[in-house]
Amino acid sequence: MIATAYKFIRYDKPKSIGVVIGIIISTFLIGQQVGILTFLTTLMGGLVSNSDTGKADIWITDKITINANELAKIDGSVAREVRSIEGVESAYPIVVTPAVASFSNGKTAPVTIIGSEAPGFVAGPLKDKIIKGSLADLLDDFAVSADFYDASTLTNSTDVGTELEINGKRAIIKVQTKDARGFGGSFFYTTLSRARFYGNFPDDKVSAVAVKVKEGYPVEKVRDEINSLLPLVNAWKTEDLKSSTVRFIVISSNIGSSIGSLVIFAIISGFFIIGLTLYSSAMDRVKDYGTLKAIGATNGYITRLIIVQSLIFAVTGFILAWMLLEGFRAGVKNAGLIINISPLLLGGLFMITFLISVGSALFFSVRTINSVEPASVFRN
Amino acid sequence: MLSVRKNEDVCFELRDMNFSEITGENQPLKGKQEADKKNVAVLSGTSKQYKTGDTTITALQPSDVVFRENELTLVIGPSGSGKTTLLSLAGCVIYPTSGDVWVKGQHVNTLNPDELARLRLYNIGFVFQNFNLIAPLTALENVMQPLRMMKIPVKEARKKAQEALEMVQMGDRMKSLPKQLSGGQQQRVAIARALVGNPSLILCDEPTAALDAKSVSIVMHELKSLAKDGKSVAVVTHDTRLKQFADRIIYVHNGYVSETPPDEEIFN
Repeated sequence: MIATAYKFIRYDKPKSIGVVIGIIISTFLIGQQVGILTFLTTLMGGLVSNSDTGKADIWITDKITINANELAKIDGSVAREVRSIEGVESAYPIVVTPAVASFSNGKTAPVTIIGSEAPGFVAGPLKDKIIKGSLADLLDDFAVSADFYDASTLTNSTDVGTELEINGKRAIIKVQTKDARGFGGSFFYTTLSRARFYGNFPDDKVSAVAVKVKEGYPVEKVRDEINSLLPLVNAWKTEDLKSSTVRFIVISSNIGSSIGSLVIFAIISGFFIIGLTLYSSAMDRVKDYGTLKAIGATNGYITRLIIVQSLIFAVTGFILAWMLLEGFRAGVKNAGLIINISPLLLGGLFMITFLISVGSALFFSVRTINSVEPASVFRN
Repeated sequence: MLSVRKNEDVCFELRDMNFSEITGENQPLKGKQEADKKNVAVLSGTSKQYKTGDTTITALQPSDVVFRENELTLVIGPSGSGKTTLLSLAGCVIYPTSGDVWVKGQHVNTLNPDELARLRLYNIGFVFQNFNLIAPLTALENVMQPLRMMKIPVKEARKKAQEALEMVQMGDRMKSLPKQLSGGQQQRVAIARALVGNPSLILCDEPTAALDAKSVSIVMHELKSLAKDGKSVAVVTHDTRLKQFADRIIYVHNGYVSETPPDEEIFN
């Protein structure tokens, strides 16, 4: 069956190539768009996901915030108060403040200063994202971190040793990170006090408090306890704050709907382009299918023959689209667009490719060919 | 006597026996088995009508026809006479409008399309006017196709197909695609494909129409030898030159079937 299906495909090369190209374009577009969306969602939740999740089980923010990138100031005493709640092992104040960075080349750029207490640096940067320098270097005078990929956004080098001004105050990049970024602004990590200094942030206020829960205590229970005892703030499980942030930005910025509609259009156009090309190919072979039926092939056999062809197309198109995606990933990586082609994404893509290919074959070709009468072979 | 109806007032009487004698009905069991064995396909009072919009076209009037083992039956008639319809009914590719069709003892009227397909696969070989080889497949793969549909393992199917192709002297062109073969060669491959499943009935629709004189002779001798080997071979044609190969001739004209030509001028 597979050999026969392959021969049918190979015999009609132009249309077979057309079908494979259709599958490649659809699959690649879907994979690319979903990959970009995944990358953007990683950035959206970057403030939370770049923090030390081993120490931050719970985030405490102001009462109305649902987006971690728009934290309002809360009273600094919250960190002290929360330490007295049962189940809380420790609490770490975090300052997140916008600023303007000015470089020696005269360029300026908006940045986000993120400060947390040394030496833990619960807000980040994570050790595994540091490519130059170390966390201890952030203790040096004027020390901040900057990200490798932000060099193009900042139009300036982010290498260690680069001097700059933040809100007109001297700063030196002492740590370089790779892919410790946020959505819409470059992250500059530093100590808590220096973040206050650069951002003119009041000493009695913080942006958030990260809470480490004692072992054996359910995180949900401690969160609920904080929420009941401190009515002016909102405690989140770390993952919940991240998902809330992503959901808010995806919906409010229309990124979700625009990428979603593009994916849907890629599926629909792929379905019709592939389906109609398969149909045209099947109609070219209608005499052969009629002959097969006349000599004893059942409709089930013919259906399987067409489905196997569509499966061969699906697998071939998927593998080529995957290779193309890998090429695209490698090509944009240096520009800072990190697309993660995860097994989940690949599995989903294959399912979509399978559905487009086999679904359109069933919808267009199989129905038509099954209606061909075996007697048609006698009508020349 | 086997009666073949032509309208209500015309009745040809065919040789041999009536339908109940052919099918073995009302006969002792042994006689029925022997009759079934000899008669590969039986059409009893079988007619076929096609509907085109409001018009009904009768392609075949109610007819009784038998195709027997060891016989090359020539079904002869002008274009549009109904001979291909007769072949289609015997070949189980269409259902009769009225009457009954029996092939290898199976009542075709009661079978569903998949059962019909299986009946064709195991019992009937087809040879078509335009050969109808599967274009993307080589000669060998074309001949293997019925065997593969019978779920015979590839190795065994290949061996049988090779033997069938060698029998029709096409052993040296097994890897050729149909488009690389001449008309005569294609028809011989088609015969090999029709034979490879060892069917009882071989139905040929104008098998020589697209062939030159030399190929006609080769193909007809092949078919004749198959009939001698115990197959029932039915050849539909409007070429009266093929009469010399026939053991029996059935004439079809305006949808009526007869074993004597109703009007010799029409056929000559």
